[in-house]
Amino acid sequence: MTGKRIAITGLGIFCGAGKDIPAFADALLGGKSGIAPLDLFDVSPFPAQIGAQVKDFDPLDHFARKTAARLSRADQFGVIAAGEALRSSGILGQAGPYDLGVVVGAGAAGMFQSEQWLKEHLAGRKGHPNLLRGILPDKTTTVIAETYRLGGYQGTITTACSSSATAIGWGADLVATGRLQGVVCGGADTLSLLTFAGFNSLKVVDPEPCAPFSLGRQGISLGEGAAFMVLEDAEAASRRGAQIHGYVLGYAAEGEAYHMTAPEPSGMAAARVMNSALRTAGVDPAEIGWVNAHGTGTPLNDVVESKAMKLVFGDRVGEVPLVSTKAVTGHCLGAAGAIEAVSTVIALGRGIIPRTLHFRGRDPECDLDYCHDGPRPGSSAIAMSNSFAFGGNITSVVFSR
Amino acid sequence: MRTASLDIVVTGLAAVSAAGVGLEPLALAVQEGRSCLRPLPAVDDPSLLWGIADGFRANDFMPPLKARKFDRCSLMAVAAAGMALRDAGIDPKTHNAERIGIVLGCGFGGIANSAEFLAGYFSAGVEGLAPMLFPNTVANAAASNASIEQGFKGPNITIVQRFSSAETALEIACRFLQEGRADVMITGGVDELTPLMIEGFRAAGQLKRFASGFGEGCGLLVLERRDAAALRGASTKGSIDDVRSLGLLLPGEEEEGLGRLLPQEITPCPISLSGTADLCPPLVQRLPESGRIELHRITGRSLAMGGLALVALFLTLREGEQGLHLAASPEGPYVAIQVRGGSPV
Repeated sequence: MTGKRIAITGLGIFCGAGKDIPAFADALLGGKSGIAPLDLFDVSPFPAQIGAQVKDFDPLDHFARKTAARLSRADQFGVIAAGEALRSSGILGQAGPYDLGVVVGAGAAGMFQSEQWLKEHLAGRKGHPNLLRGILPDKTTTVIAETYRLGGYQGTITTACSSSATAIGWGADLVATGRLQGVVCGGADTLSLLTFAGFNSLKVVDPEPCAPFSLGRQGISLGEGAAFMVLEDAEAASRRGAQIHGYVLGYAAEGEAYHMTAPEPSGMAAARVMNSALRTAGVDPAEIGWVNAHGTGTPLNDVVESKAMKLVFGDRVGEVPLVSTKAVTGHCLGAAGAIEAVSTVIALGRGIIPRTLHFRGRDPECDLDYCHDGPRPGSSAIAMSNSFAFGGNITSVVFSR
Repeated sequence: MRTASLDIVVTGLAAVSAAGVGLEPLALAVQEGRSCLRPLPAVDDPSLLWGIADGFRANDFMPPLKARKFDRCSLMAVAAAGMALRDAGIDPKTHNAERIGIVLGCGFGGIANSAEFLAGYFSAGVEGLAPMLFPNTVANAAASNASIEQGFKGPNITIVQRFSSAETALEIACRFLQEGRADVMITGGVDELTPLMIEGFRAAGQLKRFASGFGEGCGLLVLERRDAAALRGASTKGSIDDVRSLGLLLPGEEEEGLGRLLPQEITPCPISLSGTADLCPPLVQRLPESGRIELHRITGRSLAMGGLALVALFLTLREGEQGLHLAASPEGPYVAIQVRGGSPV
C-alpha cells in the first residue's frame, strides 16, 4: 500500500464475547467463549442450537425509541461499535466533517428483520414497513455517517465473510492517498434465520462450540456483532497527540476463481493473497509473528489454510502460530474480518498471542502450531489476519503494534 | 474526496438492459431518446413502468444446466464480463489471469435467492431448505461467479452503496490500477428486478418515489492504465480523468460539500445523471440545461445503474469530447466522474 503510514487511533466492538473493548479484551485473552444456546429466533428444528449471540441487548439502552424503531439490529450494533471507536480516537471535532468517512463491510445486514416481513407477506399479511428498512447493508453505513456527521465518504463492501477485512483495507487506502484525514471502518452483521438455516443446510455447523484446527471438528459456530477502528495518517495522529493502538501496514483482496463455496484445495490461492498482502505492506514473511486465521472450524477450510501457511512461511511455518479467535467470537460473517482485526490489534498491543479454544485432539492434517495450549507471550510486532469468503473472495490484512 | 492524477483508459464495454443485449441497442435507444420501460403483468398498476431486460437469455451464453446454478444477477454478470473482455480484446486464458480483477456494484443481488430459500423453510421447515440456493444469497455472487466462469483471479470486490454502487466500485477499480494491484479491472454494476422486490417497494411506500421505473441489467467497463493498454495496442473507448466522491451533504454545509464534489467549472458537455441525481436540486441547479443524459428514463433506475449509464455516456461521446457523470442517492453518497471520449468509440 503506497502513501501515508496508517495509524489505528480508535477501537470499538460489540459482540457476543464482549460489548466494549475492555470486556472483549478480557474474553479474548482470558479464553472466554461467547458461544452459548441461542434464543434470538427458534433454532429447535436444527441440529446445532448454539452461537455467539449478543445477549441481554436492549436497543433502548443506546437509542431513543423512535431511532431504535427505524434501525435494524445490524445498524444498531454498527452505530454502537463505530461510536466507541470514534470516541476513543478523539478525532471528531479535530477534523472537518467532510474530511472524515466511513467504510463498512457487511453481510446479511437487516435480514433478521426483513425475513419477518417475508414470512408475513407469504402468509398473506402486511408486515410493518420498518422491517424492510435495513435490508440493504449500506443502511448501516449511512446511519453511522449521519449519526457522527461523517460527510467525506460512504462505502459498503459486501464480499460475504471477508467484507469487513476488505473494508479496513480500503479505509486505510483512502487515508494513505490523502483523500480522507480519517476513516472509521469495520463491519456489522447479525444472526438471522437465513444464514443460520443456510449454513445448517450445507451441513457445516458444529452442534458443539466450534473447535478450529482440532480433530473431530464439524464446522462453524455462528455469531454476530460489530467492530470498527479509526484510521488516520500516523503523522497527523501523532501531531494531535492521539493514542496509537497500532498500524495497518497493507492488505490484499483477491478472487480464487475456483468455487462458490469450496476453498481452492491446494492452498495456493490463499497463499497468493497472503503474499500479496505482505508485499503491499512491505513486510517479509520472516517478520510475521503469528497469523489470526480465518479458522472457521470446517473440516476443509482449516486444512487448506494450514497448507497455505506452509506455502507462505516455508521452513519457518512451525514458528508462526495460526490462531483462530472464532471459538471466542463465533463466525460473525460480514463482521468477522473486523472483529478479528480488532482482536489482532488488541493482542499485538498486549504482546500476547491468543489461544485457539476448544481443542478436541490433534488432526494429522492440521499439523501446525495453533496455540491450543493457551495464550502465550508474543514479542513480534507484526501479525496478519486472514478472511476467506463465499465466492472465493479472500482478503489478508497486515497489522503492527 | 478526489482521486487525482488518473491516467486510466476504457478499453472495453458491455451492456445488458431493457434496450437489449449488447452495445448497439443501448446506443440506439439513447440516441433516439426512446423509453424501453413498459408495464409488467405481475404488477397490477399499468401506470407504473419498468425496465426489464427480457431480451437477455442465459442460454445464449452458457448451457442450460450450468445456467440453472446461477441467480439472475450472476447470469448477467457472467455474460457481460465475457462481452466486455472480448470488446477489450483480452482473453483471460492467454492473459495473466492474476492481473485481471473485478470491482462490481450490485444493488439487490442475492435477495431473490434469499427469498426463495427462506420461502422453502417457511412452507416446509428444514425439509424445505434447498442448499443449492444458499451460496447465491450473497451480494458478491455476481462478481464471484463472473470471475469463476471467465477465469480471472485478481482483486475481487463487490459494493452495495445505494444509487452510487457502480460509481463507488469504479473508484476502487481505478485505485487498484493506479497502485499496480492489477493490469486490467472490470467494473460497473448489475441489478435484477423481481416481482417480490416490487412488492417490497410497495410495502415501503417507494412505488411513487424512487422505485417507480426501476430497471435491471448490467453495464460493465474494462479499465486499464493508459501505458499498459498502449503496450498491447488496445484501442480506447475513452478515459477516466477524475473521480470525486462525497459521503453526505451535511445540513447547513451543502455549499462546501458540492464545492468539493463538482469541478470548479462545468463546461457544456454531455452530462449523465445517474441514481437520483436528477432529483437533487442543489446538484442539478449547478449544471447546464442542455446535454443531459438521463438513462433512467430509457432503461430504468436501479441501484447499480451507474454501470449502464457510464457505458451509455461513452457510447455518446465523440473522440476527445469531455463528459461528466454524476450519481446521487437521497442519503448520499454522491460521485462525480469526469471522462473523455476515445477513438474509435
